[in-house]
Amino acid sequence: MRPEIDTANLVEARHLSVSYGAKRAVDDVSFTIPKGRVVGLLGHNGAGKTTLMKAMVGLARPQGDLVVLGLNPIRDRTELLQSACYIPDVATLPRWARVEDLITLMDGLHPRFSADRARALLRRTSVGLRDKVKSLSKGMVAQAHLALTAAIDARLMILDEPTLGLDVLSRKAFYEMLIDEWCDGERSVLISTHQVEEIESLLSDVLMLNEGKLVLNLSLEDMDRRFVALSHDAAVAEEMAAGHPLLRYRLAGAGGSPYASLFDGEPPAHLQALGRRMRPSLVDLFVALTRKPELDRQHF
Amino acid sequence: MNNLIPLMQREWLQHRFAWALLMGVPLALALLPLAFGSIEFDGPMAERTGSELALMLGFISITMSGAVIFLLVWVTSLFITSSLPRRDHADRSVEFWLSLPTGHAESFAAPLLVHLVLVPAAALLVGLLGGGVISLVLVSRFVGIGDWFSMPWPSVIAGTLALAGRVIAGLPLAVLWLSPLILLAMLANAWFRRWGLPVLAVGLALGSAVLKGAFGQPVLADTLGQLGRNAGRSLIGAGGQGMSINDHTPPLEAFAALPGWALHDLGAALQAAASPVLAGAVLVSAGLFWALVLWRQRGAGSTG
Repeated sequence: MRPEIDTANLVEARHLSVSYGAKRAVDDVSFTIPKGRVVGLLGHNGAGKTTLMKAMVGLARPQGDLVVLGLNPIRDRTELLQSACYIPDVATLPRWARVEDLITLMDGLHPRFSADRARALLRRTSVGLRDKVKSLSKGMVAQAHLALTAAIDARLMILDEPTLGLDVLSRKAFYEMLIDEWCDGERSVLISTHQVEEIESLLSDVLMLNEGKLVLNLSLEDMDRRFVALSHDAAVAEEMAAGHPLLRYRLAGAGGSPYASLFDGEPPAHLQALGRRMRPSLVDLFVALTRKPELDRQHF
Repeated sequence: MNNLIPLMQREWLQHRFAWALLMGVPLALALLPLAFGSIEFDGPMAERTGSELALMLGFISITMSGAVIFLLVWVTSLFITSSLPRRDHADRSVEFWLSLPTGHAESFAAPLLVHLVLVPAAALLVGLLGGGVISLVLVSRFVGIGDWFSMPWPSVIAGTLALAGRVIAGLPLAVLWLSPLILLAMLANAWFRRWGLPVLAVGLALGSAVLKGAFGQPVLADTLGQLGRNAGRSLIGAGGQGMSINDHTPPLEAFAALPGWALHDLGAALQAAASPVLAGAVLVSAGLFWALVLWRQRGAGSTG
């Protein structure tokens, strides 16, 4: 029997786990993705990001409840992939094909694919229709892949490390095309990446995985409200440490206050008086929530 | 199964140049020595002259060319199909294909249909057409171009098409006979990657030897032999009666008998298909196909 879901949520996972043999890659995670969101899925290598994404498109068998666009990803995979598109990794387009071959094939295989829109999107790039995939650079392949995928009239796009190995210009072009051509306030995107700084401004929400467990699931507005960083001098480092911050770190290029401490919730008033309040970056939060505690002392 | 046609189109887009080479190069190689070399006839061929020799040369060129191109493409296709499960792993495009809304079963069925039935059938026809060109060169050089044009083409074409029709009609049956081995090779490739075929070959050879040597049971070797023999007979020579040809049979008489013989031969092949061995082979194949689908469903080995 199909579990009941809130129709405003495109994805709903409850107590979801995925195991490969004895190894539990995703461990009892619960989250929802409403429509119109751009969600960052962050985690170290091996944290379970790819496995979670594969489970969402029916390529890994999960335990627990997982409903994507109202469908069971394993049982209804073909139907699901008509409305949820998935870019697994860069350079996954078949090397033997020309770009126009791929348009022809996707036009036949995908009922929601628009060949005209794909051609229009490709005109924004330096990729030619007659180009063979094997002759394209990594960045061009990623652009071509996104153009093909963005030409699908889908409700959910799942991107697994889509800009891995690309130079900064290619990454920028990729995300520009994604935001300009696909995100319309109704569709949602789930992106996993290691380039946290680059996508922070695009995200509305963040899911953070650590060793298969979901350690953070909140919107960026809530993140700003919940987490507080205080920049401070080395002289007050001991007092800050006594307040049990999530993370203490050195600020790159900082002048007067070279250190910072990150707190979950409002820091005690006496500590706030010792430092200057600042917005914690997603990277700092990522490090705070996913690094091993025993490394904390070595870091500071 | 709405995706079957686009999935078959993928095979065309991916392999069209290789197929063109596979069919075109042997024909070109055959034409070169015929155009510039010399041939000596002996035996009954040497006794024939003029239009009769032209007819024999023409018919032999066309049928031999068809047979060679067909066998070349079919054997190549058998090897290609054995590597189908992991063919998209080298360029990592397996993940792209898995991200498309296509069923796992149809993703295997479409290439199998193309490689094992449609392309070999097309190769046979291309071979026959190429044989027509070869016959033109051959007859022109060794008899006279006029004799080529004055050949009884309706009879030649009818006889050739009868033979081609016989082979093409028997092709799905031959594939069915070989299906356990084809699918076993695919599964071996899925599980053991490039070692799949060697592992399968050694496994079958060892299995046959052990069963026969240690237990006195030649069942595996016999079954494999039976599958191979019946696959061959499904294509041609299933034992149908209806034609008797010897070296002195007038060619036109032989051509006239070909359609009837082909029909009888096909009937014999179909009769041989009503066998518990084929039923067992189909059942085993269904199980192997299901295992392949399951393997693809679990990520086609792309996770590890």
